[in-house]
Amino acid sequence: MLQACGLTVTVDGNTLCRELDMQVRGGQCWALLGRNGVGKTHLLHTLAGLRAPAEGYCLLDGERLHRLPARQRARRLGVLLQDDVSSFPSTVLETALTGRHPFIGRWEVESEADFQRARAALRQMGLSGWEQRVVRSLSGGERRRLDLAVLLTQDPPVMLLDEPLNHLDLAHQVRLLRLLRRLARQQGKAILMVLHDINLAARFCDRVLLLYGAGEWEQGTSHALLDEARLSRLYDTPIRRFDGLFAAQ
Amino acid sequence: MKRAGRVMLGLLGLMLFSVIHALVTGSAGFGWLESLAAVFGLGDPLVVSVVSELRLPRVFGALLAGGLLALAGALMQVLLRNPLADPYVLGVSGGASLAALLVMLAGLGGFWLGLGSFAGALCAMLLVFGLAHARGRWSLSRLLLTGVIVAAGWGALISFVLAIAPDARLRGMLYWLMGDLAGVEPGVFPLLVLGIGLALAWMLARDLNLLARGGLQAAVLGVPVNALRMGIYFLASLLTAAAVSLAGNIGFIGLIIPHLLRLLIGSDHRLLLPAAVVLGGSFLLLADTLARSLFAPQQLPVGVLTALLGVPVFLYLLQREGR
Repeated sequence: MLQACGLTVTVDGNTLCRELDMQVRGGQCWALLGRNGVGKTHLLHTLAGLRAPAEGYCLLDGERLHRLPARQRARRLGVLLQDDVSSFPSTVLETALTGRHPFIGRWEVESEADFQRARAALRQMGLSGWEQRVVRSLSGGERRRLDLAVLLTQDPPVMLLDEPLNHLDLAHQVRLLRLLRRLARQQGKAILMVLHDINLAARFCDRVLLLYGAGEWEQGTSHALLDEARLSRLYDTPIRRFDGLFAAQ
Repeated sequence: MKRAGRVMLGLLGLMLFSVIHALVTGSAGFGWLESLAAVFGLGDPLVVSVVSELRLPRVFGALLAGGLLALAGALMQVLLRNPLADPYVLGVSGGASLAALLVMLAGLGGFWLGLGSFAGALCAMLLVFGLAHARGRWSLSRLLLTGVIVAAGWGALISFVLAIAPDARLRGMLYWLMGDLAGVEPGVFPLLVLGIGLALAWMLARDLNLLARGGLQAAVLGVPVNALRMGIYFLASLLTAAAVSLAGNIGFIGLIIPHLLRLLIGSDHRLLLPAAVVLGGSFLLLADTLARSLFAPQQLPVGVLTALLGVPVFLYLLQREGR
């Protein structure tokens, strides 16, 4: 379980998020929504322990997140980054296996179980049979699914995902969100993801964190928070609900 | 892992070939059996002295310098995440060269040349690190820029020394700058640096695999990225310093060997790093043997041959991969 306590995130003197208190519990699936440039990624990186907060702190299973050694943190908390560019050739299977890194000792090599996990993750992401392909030869959407496969291979109890739907086609978007919801409900994962599609967020996430800009935020259940007034303010544009779906005017 | 074994076995075979080839090649006209026997002190004392005092040190020198450079290059490319990076890109060799030229200008050689260039390399390494680190936070782009600019500064100073140097010393200086294994005296020091360096780098090989995918991704998967980067910087610089103080600025090995191996065997550093050491050493030894036998008794600087051999091989592999 991941908890933020009075968490303030600033960049170059601008406050992106002021004194955030929230708990992402096992079994919950959170959407983090907000305009471009409002600080969603910075907040996500801070919650992931990759960036120090200006004030406040995070707790991972009750321990101070930013004091945990990187390796121990990586066993319990995984992150899908927004984009990832690799400069050197490597294969799909090698890349998926990097997810096991925090669990493999300095003098050990990947075990058969690690290979099985990586292959299973690739299968879940529809990349079976491509194990030996070079990553550079994949399309944008395929690469995104490979990044997700790395996270699934890592298989941590807390998962933070930065725009996981980027580059994915509609079928893969829905398939992925179903999978994440199932991971939360059946395996008790704590999941928080940055999304841009309000309707998918409303359909698949039980909680939302709204980042309004200038440090203001609001959190609660999707049911209570996702309404025309709030979303219009959030995106600074009139948003109406037609037949249960939100649309910008 | 079976494949890794095959690759290493093949490379060690190549190394053995390059060693034998170097021992039996020369303008003295000994038979190959005679030359090999001389390694074990058997046969004609003249042959024994030529082989053990001239050829053998050169074999060791080439294997060490090539291994050091290839390992340093592989590390530098991961550190800077830039395929154009080589051991010299951050100016370590510039400092070494300036110091070496000053030693030669003073009319000293041998031991002083090695010591001077090693000290120069260390100064250059600390200077770049200090400047890049000045405000606490150090970023890769800052390190790269600082290194490249400082290297340009060394280049200017080197040109200055060459301009004021007396003609009699100029040829020796130019040969040193191009990299030259004639008169190399490999002690136990470069061997220690290479051995310890390879062991340390190999311990970190899986972290390096992650770092090659990007610093943030490596951090996500539990790699202490800043400490690792600093460690790689110092390690690669030390390896370069040891290589340069051994044989001057031998170009191309540190750039091409890691790339060649990435094209051939992939980017897993657990295999790539030891393979680079073996292939770098063998490649430099083959080039050096050609350099001293091609226009015998005239000897070419080995740096000329590394590039002449390396360019077509590399371009061929690149073309093949493109298809």
